Amino acid sequence: MTTPPAPSPSGTGISVRGLTKTFGSFTAVDDLSFEVAPARVTGFLGPNGAGKTTTLRMLLGLVRPTSGEALIGGRRYADLSAPMVTVGAALEATGFHPGRSGRNHLRVLAASHGIPDRRVDELLELVGIPAAARKKAGGYSMGMRQRLGLAAALLGDPDVLLLDEPANGLDPEGIRWMRGFMRHLAQEQGKTVLVSSHLLGEVEQTVEDVVIIANGRMARQGTIDELRGEPAVLVRVADPAGLAGVLQEAGLEVQPEDGGLRVSGADGARIGEAAHAAGHAVHELRPLRTDLERLFLELTESPEHRNRNLATGTEAA
Amino acid sequence: MISLVRAELRKYFTTRLSWSMPLAMAVLGGLFAALQGLFLAVIGEFPGPDGSMIVPSEMFGEDVVARLVYTGGVQIGYLLALVLGILSMSGEFRHKTITATLLAAPRRGRLIAAKLASVAVIVAVNAVAFTLGSVVGGGLTLALGDVSLFPDLAGLLATFARMILVLVLWGLMGFGLGVLITNQVVALFVGVGVTLLVEPLLGFGLTFVERLADASKFFPSQASTSALDLFAGVDPGMAQSLGGAPDALSWGWGTLVLLGYAAFMAALGWLLTSRRDVA
Repeated sequence: MTTPPAPSPSGTGISVRGLTKTFGSFTAVDDLSFEVAPARVTGFLGPNGAGKTTTLRMLLGLVRPTSGEALIGGRRYADLSAPMVTVGAALEATGFHPGRSGRNHLRVLAASHGIPDRRVDELLELVGIPAAARKKAGGYSMGMRQRLGLAAALLGDPDVLLLDEPANGLDPEGIRWMRGFMRHLAQEQGKTVLVSSHLLGEVEQTVEDVVIIANGRMARQGTIDELRGEPAVLVRVADPAGLAGVLQEAGLEVQPEDGGLRVSGADGARIGEAAHAAGHAVHELRPLRTDLERLFLELTESPEHRNRNLATGTEAA
Repeated sequence: MISLVRAELRKYFTTRLSWSMPLAMAVLGGLFAALQGLFLAVIGEFPGPDGSMIVPSEMFGEDVVARLVYTGGVQIGYLLALVLGILSMSGEFRHKTITATLLAAPRRGRLIAAKLASVAVIVAVNAVAFTLGSVVGGGLTLALGDVSLFPDLAGLLATFARMILVLVLWGLMGFGLGVLITNQVVALFVGVGVTLLVEPLLGFGLTFVERLADASKFFPSQASTSALDLFAGVDPGMAQSLGGAPDALSWGWGTLVLLGYAAFMAALGWLLTSRRDVA
């Protein structure tokens, strides 16, 4: 079980079909279906407690689905002959024995798949903790743990990566590093990446596709460009009606909004110049939230989508 | 499968337990064997039921005395083996390493089999340390009491081999317990509590129930004493006064009974583990 099979040229995708998980009377994941395209970065988004982690755990065979199936490359995780060679996963709640060094933690995992220890040191180098990983894991910071978890996920050089809230606990520098790293994995190495987050901004610049869930159900899915919609700008002047005429003549779509004008189809610079040329003094000019941002805000702020993990009597994320 | 066993062994050998446990085994084995030797060889006599003095080395022969001294700490030995077995599984839940472990070995039956094999190896290594410690501690007091150190070398080697086997079986029982009860503190409490408290009390209670009076010989501790064949060549009445069960099992049956406990708990754990959600 040591030699990784050559990745098929089409890559390995993920399909989730009718996936449902109930814990007692609580439905954590409710008839969820989506596909993750090979060799793309897909964001798996939703408010805290939406069911993201439970879905990932079902994909990885840690939690038994009540019904439906979750397949990786057409197979259940437990049916993969060398799972870490096909799928690498960094889950949030993964722990480390406080008395074992991070390097030895990886060496244990490597032994299970006959992966040489040399690879362990390569990866520690890659995630930037070669020296620290020789100390006992008990004293690791959250950032160290995230990097170590990522190294564990990459041990088998898998085609598919599942990352659960990888930016949690990282400082801004760490988050930048993580973003660049994910892009590198997908674009240069052709890996399929599914990354979960409860913060849109954290992954928005990195992901190509988006799956958004709330209350365990599908809320929206598509490419990030589709879901973003057309970028729009809010402009405020003393005479909105006058400026609206000018902009409409220039072929832009204009709607009144919040005492100003919502203009789509042009960036702020062009609108500002048009207003200046027509003699309007601009009081305010700013980009508006994209459709995706609005949708996400709606989902996270609506009371029915509050974090179900915090409610009493619930068991899973 | 072999690689999974290797991974499990690496887990053990990369924590402090890999040297602290054999050290504790050797030291405690030595201490308890020395204590036993203090009574049986150094003091070397104690009053019998009729008031006359009994000299163990004359009454049972030097080979029996040596056997009893070298195995003097076996109870503490199998308790520690039980703890080692429990830690193999419950430690994964305590430190939340179970997620990483199951990602590397998603087929839970295989994981349990690999862990069983690794527990057997780990406890065997510890049991050797325990035996060496016992030989040093016991040998010291035997020498002090002028009792022959190895009166029947072949017989003693067989006793050592049985002691190692008994410890390994306790390790496997502990593993089964750790799979059943994933909370480490509770598992340790139950394991040690049942062995030290519940079993002797229950055994004592059963002596008052005529039809069940024989049952206690099937209890783990009594079965272990049988499996060690400690009282071979000793008058049964005298063996009882030294802590043996009346009508004890033969050493073969004792071994099988221990194996049965280990198999039952591991199988039950296997069944539960394959269905358990790890969140």
